Amino acid sequence: MRSIFTTVAAAALSATALSAVLPSDALAGGVLRLDEVAVGELDPGKASDYADSILMFNVYDTLVLPKQGGPGHVPHLAESWESDGNSYTFTLRTDVKFQSGNTMTADDVVFSFDRMKTLGQGLSYLFGIVESAEAVDANIVRFNLSQPSAAFVASLVRLPIVDKATVMANLGDGEGDMKDWGQAYLSANGAGTGAYKVTSHNPQEETVMEKNADYFLGVADAAPDTVRLRYGLEAATVRTLIAQGEHDISSQWLPPEVIKALAADGAQLLSESGTGAFYVKMNTTKPPMDDVNCRLALSKAFDYEAAIKMIAITDEISQGSPSTGGIPVGMFGANPADAILTRDMDAAKTHLAECQHSPDDFTLELSWIAEVPLEERFALLMQANFAELGIKSEIKKLPWALFSEQVSKPENTPHISQLFVTAVTGDPDTLLYGQYHSTAAGTWQSPEYLNDAEVDKHLDAGKTATDDAGREAAYAALNARLMEIAPSIYGYDRNSVFAASNRVRVPALSDPEKAFGLDGMGFSFRLMEMTE
Amino acid sequence: MSPVVRLLAHRLGMSLIVLVGVSMLIFAIARIIPGDPARIALGPNATAEQVENLRQALHLDQSIVVQYGHFVADLLRGDLGVSLYTNRPVIVDIAQFLPATLELVLAAGIMMIGIGLPLGIISARYRGRWPDNLVRLVSLLGVSAPSFVWAVILMLLFAFFLPIFPIAGRISDIYSIEAVTGFLLIDTLIAGNVAAFSDAAWHIVLPAFALAVSGIGQAARLTRANMVETYDKPYIEMARSYGFPDRRIANRFAFRPSLIPALTIIGLDFAAMLGNAFLVEAVFAWPGLSRYGVAVILRKDLNAIVGTVLIISATFLIMNIIVDLLIAFINPRIRHSQRPA
Repeated sequence: MRSIFTTVAAAALSATALSAVLPSDALAGGVLRLDEVAVGELDPGKASDYADSILMFNVYDTLVLPKQGGPGHVPHLAESWESDGNSYTFTLRTDVKFQSGNTMTADDVVFSFDRMKTLGQGLSYLFGIVESAEAVDANIVRFNLSQPSAAFVASLVRLPIVDKATVMANLGDGEGDMKDWGQAYLSANGAGTGAYKVTSHNPQEETVMEKNADYFLGVADAAPDTVRLRYGLEAATVRTLIAQGEHDISSQWLPPEVIKALAADGAQLLSESGTGAFYVKMNTTKPPMDDVNCRLALSKAFDYEAAIKMIAITDEISQGSPSTGGIPVGMFGANPADAILTRDMDAAKTHLAECQHSPDDFTLELSWIAEVPLEERFALLMQANFAELGIKSEIKKLPWALFSEQVSKPENTPHISQLFVTAVTGDPDTLLYGQYHSTAAGTWQSPEYLNDAEVDKHLDAGKTATDDAGREAAYAALNARLMEIAPSIYGYDRNSVFAASNRVRVPALSDPEKAFGLDGMGFSFRLMEMTE
Repeated sequence: MSPVVRLLAHRLGMSLIVLVGVSMLIFAIARIIPGDPARIALGPNATAEQVENLRQALHLDQSIVVQYGHFVADLLRGDLGVSLYTNRPVIVDIAQFLPATLELVLAAGIMMIGIGLPLGIISARYRGRWPDNLVRLVSLLGVSAPSFVWAVILMLLFAFFLPIFPIAGRISDIYSIEAVTGFLLIDTLIAGNVAAFSDAAWHIVLPAFALAVSGIGQAARLTRANMVETYDKPYIEMARSYGFPDRRIANRFAFRPSLIPALTIIGLDFAAMLGNAFLVEAVFAWPGLSRYGVAVILRKDLNAIVGTVLIISATFLIMNIIVDLLIAFINPRIRHSQRPA
């Protein structure tokens, strides 16, 4: 008996030992491995965060795409479009097939729009001004808007086109003719025209995709054959995996010191910028923040240079670039890149002297979001900066869930909140309207509770201007006004940094001329090249 | 009715009451955690209207008693609701993630017993000598650091500096194994793929050991303490005077009575690992229920929180029953105490 046991144990040990010498990435050539922190939502009608965007931009396509290397949009599934103000008419390509083999038509576009509006999740709010979509014929689709909107075309980058026939054949339990609108099916399967097909999806582990050989634009041979998008890897795990050649691109959420260590080991650093910024938001309804001079004093006392140093990864690459105002460089209305904001203690003292509240009479509540440890460092920086003005402050850690609940009432909203805000379509309207328009006050991104008629006027003008020059003028005026009344301290323009192995080339994340200016779109796998 | 069946029936009845209590408690606690589940689920960009619609769909606009009524009615149909974290039925998530954690915990439990108990026996048998001192030092190290620290240390030592073991996951990317039971070690055997089995076994070594280190230390210390106490009993003296070999005295006369308290603690440790495995699962990217449980708590995913806690509680209770039965089997006095008066 003992000898049998010994033999079995020895055999098992030998077998496992043998497997140890097998390279675990024996088939890694052509396989791209990357990670994201959150679970990837496959249903394009519900997609909202970064992981969702990566999935959406690869499994599905949209009518237009952001232009690479500059502002504006180019046709994608659409061949062309025209507008008469309140309606937009798109002529579709006729050579596009879904991964199922079905041909894409205007019906699919209308179905995708109706589905997104009906589900009311994800980024469906972007289409609030669209009253209806109609198929004029098989290849022409028209969107009818309740008012002119210059931001509408940009918002179409968030309307992925779904294969109506496939979804209708896979409706799950639910009420009415449309039952669940295919939610159960689309949360586990793809039904798009995209360059990559979903082969498996485990929301807590990974989504595996493979190249779609029939993609209407073709996919280069050098593009990865298989992509493994892993979820929820720890920083230490990613660090070890990349160092051992078992991972290719990290998420942007790695601590700067880990990215720095990987860069020191020879990893390349990729980046994506121009879509968002770090804002320090002041509750304008709460004394002393109700006085513009107090707000200006704080914004002048903030040490912008130190903030940039805190997020630097190497001498060349940082997780942010110096702020020039309320609008990130590269967007309509932004100030020139060299007009950076700097600390000015003399101006800060002058403004404080003009403020109706004395520093002796208040203690500022400096909050930071518990899930973003970097913000604690900024809270400490501000505490030190403001102390030089004689302003007392206390630091308060708030979990996101509690923060988003507290900001629904101005009296519960802290004096100062720190937030990273991003334009979900790359258009300034989606970055700024929700933050500063008086009708949008009291959400997570508008704890300023700003109520300024001039700001509202510029935001509305930016939304409805019909040409680029008009939009530039509206947002430039808005930027000037935001600097004048300082509802926020404009910390820095955000730059997402990813550590990557050298077996992949990603022009959209390394060459500004190829960059899309839209979060997540740089991860279009069809535009990547595997070098091994 | 035999004493063992009586014991089993009693324990099952008590477990059911405990489960109902746990369900009510966790149902209430999950709703007290700050934050609006609908807002968290829909993300920061959702409009107030979207949030309100989801609140209504989840019955969050109704009283907690009515909500609990909906929950019980659904539960009786085997429906734990939909997870807002994964957008899938909670029951599907649990079915997918539970086997991964159970497999990990079982492997850790085997290590705990297979390494901890022998270490305890050796330590007691060589009391006061260098093997005893060495085992006590190692055990102390094991219990004094949490499992995630061991996870990081082991990963650095044996996956990074000495790349012997894989860094993360349950199996290498090159294998594609159809899930039958969800237990990869079993599924690979069902598929008849020995290489995949070896690979999966190799993947589980480090995370299971990291999870087991503390339990191994505890098992060794408990076994040693109990055996040392037993060694002072007169019947051990008598065995020695009869000339029984030391090894036989240790294994047969001293170990068995010492096993009962150790077994109780090991059983509880084993069940507790289900809930405590999340950091080890996070470090080794192990797609298990424990990690899922923490993720859903952070996202205030009410249905998933309740479902996960109920499953972990049920496993805890089942382990308790198994331990009770084992102890009754080992110790006739406990078995016979179940006889009716």
